[in-house]
Amino acid sequence: MTRFVIEREIPGAKDLTQDQLAEIAQTSNDAAASLGVPYTWVTSYVAGDKIYCVHDAEDTETILEHARRGGFPANKVTAVANEFGPHTAGGS
Amino acid sequence: MIGQSYADGVQLLERERELELLRAAVRRVADGGQGAGFALTGDSGAGKSALVDSVCDAADGLRVLRGHCDPLHTPRPLGPFRDLGVPELDSIGQKDVLLSEVCEQVYAAVRAEPTVLVVEDLHWVDAASVDVLRFLARRVESMPVLLLMTYRDVEIAPRHPARSLLGDVAALDGLASLPLRPLSLDGVTSVVGGTGLDPERVLSVTGGNPFFVTEVAKEPDLPMPSSVRDAVLARTAHVTPADFEVLQLVAVAPDRLDDRVLPKLGVDLPTLRRLDETSLLGRTANGIVFRHELARQAIESTIPPGGGIRLHARVLDALEQVEPREPAVLTHHAVAARDATRAAAYAREAAADAIRAGAHGEAAAFFEIALEHLDSATAKERAELLLALSFQQYMTSRLREAIDNVRATFPLWQMVGDEAGLAEAHAMVAVYEYYNARRRQAEDHLDRASAIAAAAGSRLTFGHARASRAYLAYMRSDATLTLGCLDQVHDVTEQEPEQFLVLRGQVIDDAHALASGDDAARGRLFDHMEVARSHGYDELASTVFSNLANLDVEHARYRQAERVLEESLPFTVERDIPICRHWQTGVRSRLQFVKGHWNAALEDAATVLDADGMPLATLWPHLVSALIPLRRGDEVPESAVEDAWTLAEQLDEPLRRLAVLAALAELAWMADREEPRLADAVALVPVLGAAPGAGWAAGNLAVWLRRLGFELDASAHVAEPFQLLLDGRCAEAASWWHLAGDPFAEAMAWTDSPLTEDRVRGVTLLDKLGAVGTADRLRVVLRQEGLATVPQRPRLSTRANPGGLTNRQLDVARLVARGLSNNEIAGRLYISPKTADHHVSAILAKLGLPNRRAVVVQASDLGLD
Repeated sequence: MTRFVIEREIPGAKDLTQDQLAEIAQTSNDAAASLGVPYTWVTSYVAGDKIYCVHDAEDTETILEHARRGGFPANKVTAVANEFGPHTAGGS
Repeated sequence: MIGQSYADGVQLLERERELELLRAAVRRVADGGQGAGFALTGDSGAGKSALVDSVCDAADGLRVLRGHCDPLHTPRPLGPFRDLGVPELDSIGQKDVLLSEVCEQVYAAVRAEPTVLVVEDLHWVDAASVDVLRFLARRVESMPVLLLMTYRDVEIAPRHPARSLLGDVAALDGLASLPLRPLSLDGVTSVVGGTGLDPERVLSVTGGNPFFVTEVAKEPDLPMPSSVRDAVLARTAHVTPADFEVLQLVAVAPDRLDDRVLPKLGVDLPTLRRLDETSLLGRTANGIVFRHELARQAIESTIPPGGGIRLHARVLDALEQVEPREPAVLTHHAVAARDATRAAAYAREAAADAIRAGAHGEAAAFFEIALEHLDSATAKERAELLLALSFQQYMTSRLREAIDNVRATFPLWQMVGDEAGLAEAHAMVAVYEYYNARRRQAEDHLDRASAIAAAAGSRLTFGHARASRAYLAYMRSDATLTLGCLDQVHDVTEQEPEQFLVLRGQVIDDAHALASGDDAARGRLFDHMEVARSHGYDELASTVFSNLANLDVEHARYRQAERVLEESLPFTVERDIPICRHWQTGVRSRLQFVKGHWNAALEDAATVLDADGMPLATLWPHLVSALIPLRRGDEVPESAVEDAWTLAEQLDEPLRRLAVLAALAELAWMADREEPRLADAVALVPVLGAAPGAGWAAGNLAVWLRRLGFELDASAHVAEPFQLLLDGRCAEAASWWHLAGDPFAEAMAWTDSPLTEDRVRGVTLLDKLGAVGTADRLRVVLRQEGLATVPQRPRLSTRANPGGLTNRQLDVARLVARGLSNNEIAGRLYISPKTADHHVSAILAKLGLPNRRAVVVQASDLGLD
């Protein structure tokens, strides 16, 4: 499976309440479960009027299918080329 | 893969001419911002969508907006516009906004940038979308938009909502129809080339239908399918039963199977991938559809009887859990799932949506569904639904059904002992019966309403019933009864000063006063109209206009009538008041008739007669349809005068009777024969003529009877110009009509003179007016009397024809008369300057004038002021 970063443009995203986010999460879980192929929703960040999501899937098509089933926009889908962080630092 | 449209991989054959036309139109939008509209027509499978796809793909950088009409039992109002994906339009039709404002909103959104706007499947269109499309169509040249519409012509019956839109495509500037023909043998050969199939055999089986031919060509090794259904089903040969049921699920959701219900229906991604191999399915913005309606129908036909119920129930359950809900779609599934409770509930919600959007035909259909499925409702609930249904039926001119449905509430009110409700229902039926031109029934119902309301102590209901009775009396020119009923209204409003009832009383009072000759009443009526508007009593305000315009025409105040109608007709359209729209269009047809704008008069008459105008409004349209061809020397439609006669009998109103008798007299005079129905006419002139405001109609009849050789009672009171004529002062009468603006009456006044040169002058004027038939009749008479130099019939080619201007041309001509340039005219009428120029040229030719200046100078004579 490949990891993808998805940008979703949702006006008023930062004003979503915890309850609303919980409902969205349930919808997303149901959508993922309905796919019948391997799929992992890793996490999502609400930032400004966008939601950034990290998903593991076999291909972009599957990411888009999940978005359709959840009723979410998927404005930009990019495969993650590399992941790095403070723990992967090396060199002098 | 899933996501492609049907047209991918489909070649467009034998559409070069259409493609070139459309591409040129796209270029004109991109370069100069000049718009155009096309209606693509053809059978299912003719390739309309494929052609549209091709145009959209090569759209020169233009924004592409695509909507299509719902293939539902009853469509969502404004559905195609909500689906366009334009944020400003996402929620139109769902708030309480006038349809006319919705039109403005769509217009603003669509013309914001150069656009290709596609609306497909007009054979499924709802009435509100038709209004919006007509609004856009009328302005298409002034927007940077290419409007593409598709439909199957065989499915557009006479009463179809799209009829009026298609009429516009035929009549308006900037719009054209593009029929798509089946493939020729060459075309079929191109498709099946290389497959080993015999092109002639394929052509014979498929009729050249592109979809069918393509399907056949995809599976050349299978036996030739004898129908599209077989061709489609052949492609599902390898589909498992479980997957096939998913195809059937998509088939029962004709608008689309919403993506968001796929989890609830248990349809996973591998299933969709497998089904993709059939090439039958496609993806829209938010759901799964069949790539072609023919394919959907083929799969749907495989659902066994009763199987559909289960499928629809599954889809319904799933859809109920997604927001926002679409009542029209839910109704469709609930009805098919035979779920009465949910069908009734959703139908009522859908009706409310339709009313908000101004889609009355759809609202009525939804109310009918609700009533059909209403199992355990109270009598009162049922009665209220019936009334709601009947109102929507009235709004679509289905008066007979509206009346029957209100009558169906009578036993229900009695069941619950609601006397006030019963009285109101009788009053409602009365109004519909009157619009249906059935006076006697209307009066009976009002009398019942009054009696029941009085007994029940419902003073306001009683007051309103008396006001309606006063109105009917006024229309019958019965002064005594009118004033008597108004006194009763006054008594009620002293006790219960309801503003609406007070205003109704004042309006009828002043209409009666104006009819009786009190000119100051005219100003008072305008005041009442303003008050009505400020209170939002739109229909009342509109009826003030209706009565004003009618009286102005009746009493030869033609310029004032024109100004009233200029303001009032658009008001009836904007506020959605059909009875007033029909009535005022009928009044305008009479006004154009007397002014000599005969083509325009016939246009207006046809609008009322052909487009379900309510019977009350059809009298003058019938008369105009008979008298204009008569005067022109063309064939007179036989039924026109008979229909007017029957109507006049039913209405039993002096002004209308006099008008029909005058028409019969004119017909008899032209044919030089006897008309038995005129036997009593001479005696009727003083009787009917004594009614308030009847001096004009009586005078007109008197003059025609005199031409037929009847002796008239000198005591009959007639209006001034007719009295002049009867007194033998023909030149003065002619001058009177000239000033008033009635060229035919003017010419006939000259011909009534004993002096030869006057009569010759009259005949010449008739020829100039286009009344060649009447002129010919007079030529015969003059020759019989021994006159040697009878003016000759003008040759066709030399005949200028001022009466030949259409309504559209009159619009342009009036602006020319005011001195506007082509650019200014284009701006006012939402057409291109080039089109304005064409109109001006045509107008000058018809009027026989050399230049625009001449139009300005002669504006008054031409009736353009």
